[in-house]
Order: sequence, then C-alpha cells, then structure tokens
Amino acid sequence: MGARAGLLLILPAAAILAAGFVYPVLLLARISLNRTTDIGAMEEAVTLETFEQLVGDAFTWDLAWNTATLAAGSALAATALALPVALLIRAAPPRWRGLLSLMAVAPLLVSGTARVVGWLAILGDNGVVNATLMGLGLTDDPVRMINNWTGVRIGLTESLMPYACLVLIAGLGRLDPRLEEAAATLGATRSRTFLRVTLPLAAPALLAAFLLTFVLGVSAFVTPRLMGGGRVFVIATEIFDLALESVNWPAAAALAMLLLGALAVALVLRAVLVREAAR
Amino acid sequence: MPPDAMSHLRLDGLTRRFPGTAHPAVDGVSLELPRGALLALLGPSGCGKTTTLRMIAGLETPDAGRVTVAGRDVTDLPPHRRNMGVVFQSYALFPHMTAAANIAFGLEMRGTPRAERESRVAEALALVGLGDLAARKPRQLSGGQQQRVALARALAIQPDLLLLDEPLSALDAKLREGVRDEIRALQQRVGATTVFVTHDQTEALAMADLVAVMNEGRVEQLGTPEEVFERPATRFVATFVGRAARLPGRVDGPGVVRCGEVALRAAEAPGSGAAEVFIRPHHVRPLAPDATADNILEGRVLRRTYTGDLVSLECETPAGRIQAELPGGAPGAALAAGAAVRLGFAAEDVRVFPA
Repeated sequence: MGARAGLLLILPAAAILAAGFVYPVLLLARISLNRTTDIGAMEEAVTLETFEQLVGDAFTWDLAWNTATLAAGSALAATALALPVALLIRAAPPRWRGLLSLMAVAPLLVSGTARVVGWLAILGDNGVVNATLMGLGLTDDPVRMINNWTGVRIGLTESLMPYACLVLIAGLGRLDPRLEEAAATLGATRSRTFLRVTLPLAAPALLAAFLLTFVLGVSAFVTPRLMGGGRVFVIATEIFDLALESVNWPAAAALAMLLLGALAVALVLRAVLVREAAR
Repeated sequence: MPPDAMSHLRLDGLTRRFPGTAHPAVDGVSLELPRGALLALLGPSGCGKTTTLRMIAGLETPDAGRVTVAGRDVTDLPPHRRNMGVVFQSYALFPHMTAAANIAFGLEMRGTPRAERESRVAEALALVGLGDLAARKPRQLSGGQQQRVALARALAIQPDLLLLDEPLSALDAKLREGVRDEIRALQQRVGATTVFVTHDQTEALAMADLVAVMNEGRVEQLGTPEEVFERPATRFVATFVGRAARLPGRVDGPGVVRCGEVALRAAEAPGSGAAEVFIRPHHVRPLAPDATADNILEGRVLRRTYTGDLVSLECETPAGRIQAELPGGAPGAALAAGAAVRLGFAAEDVRVFPA
C-alpha cells in the first residue's frame, strides 16, 4: 500500500477531528480575544484583556491549585490502586488475562454520570458506608463523604482507575517474567525481587499511567460537578459556570485556552520524560 | 576438577503434568550426576527437557519426585534458597542495571560485604573476558557479550549447580561453536556441576560428560556421548542422535536379521519378528576386492556428494538403500555414480530395534 492510499484512509478520521475538535478550539481561541462590555455583552475585538483579568485574579490561581492537587492526588491513587490489578492480570494464566483485563476496564462501559449516582448511594448520609459505620457504633453522625472534596477525590480516583489499568496492563505485559525468575535464582525473595526488579522496570508504565490520569483528572467535569454538590470549584466547573451561568463567553473561552495550554505543556513534559527514561 | 564418583545431583521420579494436557510434560525422570560433571538434556522441543531444568531450579513445582543436591533434598525449597546459577535462553539480564550490577545482584542478596562483592564481580568479569565492559547496560552489549555476562552472573554466586537453558540458541551460527567451547572450558576450570538443555545433538555430544536423551517426558537413554551415539538404547535415540540408514527387517534367530533377501549379522538382535535396522554412514566402507567384513553387500552407487572433508555415497543394495560416509582421500571415495561397490560393516554397528 502506497503513502497515497494511507493518506486516503486517514482522511475520514482527519475530517472528523478537524470539524469536531480543531474548528471548535479555533473558535474558542477567537472568542477568548473578544471583549465583555460593562453590561455583560460580548463585543468583537482582538484584545488580551480577559486573559489579563484572569491571570490577575487570585481566584483563578486558587482554582488552578485546587485542580492540580485534586488531579495529582486522584491520579496517584488511581495508579497505585491499578498496579496490583495489573500485576495480578500479568500473573494470571493466559486464558484468564483477556477476561480479567475486560473486567478491569469495564467501568468505562458505564456512563460517568451513572457511576457518580452509584457513589452517591454508597457514600451518602444514608448510604451503605455510613449505615455500616453507624450500625457498628463507630460514629453517631454520618461522615460527610459527598458534596465535598472527599467525595470528589473518591469518585475521581474510581473514574480514573480503568485508564490507569489499561496503561499498566499494556506496560507490564511487556515485562519478561524470566527477569523475576532470574532474580529468584540469584537469591532474591519475592519482596526484594519486586522492589529491585519489577518496580524499576515498571516505572515508565507507572509514569505513563500517572500522567494520563492526571491530564484526564485536570479536565474532569462530571465528578467534581455532581459529587462536589456545588462546593467544589475546579477549572472545568468554573468554565461551565462562566459560559452557561454568567454567560461570559470570552472569560470561559480564555480560561479554557489557559487549561489547554497547561495540558499541552504537561504532555510535552511527558514526552521528554519518556524519552529520557528510554535512554 | 575431574568428576568423582559421588553423585552430586540426583533426580528421583520427577514428574510434572500441566493442567489441561493429556500427557505429563515430564514423566518419572530419574538420574544421577557426579560432582563437576556436565549433563546435557537432549531432545526435540516439547520433550520435557526445559521443564526438568526448571524443576531442578525450583521455578516449576513437580507433581511427584525429588530433587537432591549434594545430599540435601531441595524439592520443597523456593528458588531463592537453592543456590543455583541459571542462565536463561534469553539471558534475562536486568536491563536497568549495568553488567557489573547484574553480576553483583546475587552477592548483594546474600549480604556479601561491598569490598568482597566488588572483587568477586571483577573476578567474574575477568573470568568471561569482559573486564572492560563492566559499566555497560545489557542493551549496549552484543548477544555473545550478554551471554557471557549471564554466565558470569550465574557463576558469581558460586552455585551448587549451574543450569543452562539452550544458552547458545540465541547466538549466530558462526559464534556458537566458539562460545560452546568457551563454556565447556570455563565449566571445567571452575568445576561447576552443570545441567545443560539443548535440542542440538552436536552441542550435546561436544560438551557433555553425560547425555540424557529425552522424548515425551522420559529419559530414553543416559550415557556418555560415545555410548549414546554408538550404541543407542532405543529406536528414538538411534533416530534422533546422528544419521542412519533405516531398513525394515525381521529378526531371524540370534544375531541375524533379514533385510530383503539378505541376512545381516548383528551383535544384538532383540526379540523376534518385525524390526527396524539402523546403520550409521560412517560405519560403512567400500571394500577392496579381497577385503572382508562381518557384513558385505554388493551394490551400486546412486549418488556421490562431496562436502570437502567428507564424501557421501548413496548406494542401492539388495538390503535396501545405504549411505557410506568416508574421508575425501579414503579408498573408494572416488567412486562415481553408477559404479559397482562392495560395502562392508561390522556386526556391532548393526543396530536392531523391534518395529
């Protein structure tokens, strides 16, 4: 197959990407340069006023900090929790691996909103966890685990785990089990084999899983919105509020462009790190 | 160190059956190996040789049988407590560690103090002739160098047993012979009792003190390379090790086997009835007119193949098709296709197996 035929084959995907992603982003970039008048109307302009206002506003930096720490914490937790899952799947007999991998990523088949509703039922004041805690007499009042940061962290970690599993299963699958056997024959116990051989060799996969889930966590909207109960503010929820509640499109667009820029920097950083690790 | 009489490794009825398979991968393997000797487990793929090696190393759990090393039953010990140096087919060098760190790993696990560790790593590297490549990572080494690091890593722990799983199969054909002789020389120098898995009969015959020919999970024959090659105990061994003319025949009284219209004399002709007769090409010689032999067949040369040091004659005889292989300058080596030939061979070189 020639290069020409190859180009023809990617044309449909390229067209969809152009219409559904590139064009809206360019539109957003254009809107972010518009001006908002005193009465809140959008005025055609080419100005960086909105950006200046956002960057000068301490609330934007609070949002950035909240978003970054939420995403980093959840990505770390999701990666750490996915590691034993991926190790188990790697150690399983080959004919079980497919089924187990499918189970690990099965949550992706359920809508994010449905999963949040599930968490509300589990973590709510009358949910399973609180009913158990109170039934055992461990606490008299329900522990608040929804409509606050705790709930958002739990929900986001869960929603990121399948992605971390996906990356780790693929990454660890390439790790030769003979290496661990070699360590054992050289006198290493299971725990020392894990620390000295498995973990260092899994590091690139762990980094990849963390960075992917971090990026997804930074742009997460459904979980912070629904599990935060209006008390949790991150950049994604703020963009939504600016666009649809304040109807301040230039501000929403500018914040979106800032987020996009930050994520682009993160992805470039990831590429550099991966190349360094491969050296 | 010459092999002494005391058996260092002993396998008793070692058996391993993998779930969902009809036949055991290893089926009651028993053998003994003297200290300092090199045993080759030789057989086709799937004959159970690698599984046997893995059970000795503790990487596979036997369903039955015992493994004894230096009088100690190690069957129930995990691999990290067996003190065996294993060289894997893929070498399994730790890619994130330098050659020196790979070799030091086993010593570190044993809590060897740093100073001693460093001197023993240097020693091991020097032993395999890689002293100047200590700081290289495995991917910066050639296949042959990786193989030597793997060997040094296995030897650095001063193992009770050295186990090699097809250590030459990942090397270029050109390198193989040199590395083969190097491994053998090294093994004899350090006196390591060694088990070596291979499917290559030349490798097994060239390197081993003892060869165990395996088929379908069982040891068909355990013997010196000469015994296995010259006096195969079973039809499988005769087929797998070396080449031979295979003639259908019938045992016709003690020491006589009939092939076609000809009666051949054989040193041993077990049983009676249908048999298969094996005659190795290098045992068959074209005879001078007045010369004599236990068995003489009058025939005709069908094809002559010249391979430099050897000449191979494919001959049609009343007993069937037989090959003679002889040095280029030997009498009869000049015979051309179509020439009449008198072939002679000894009774002890006629191997007869029940068909």
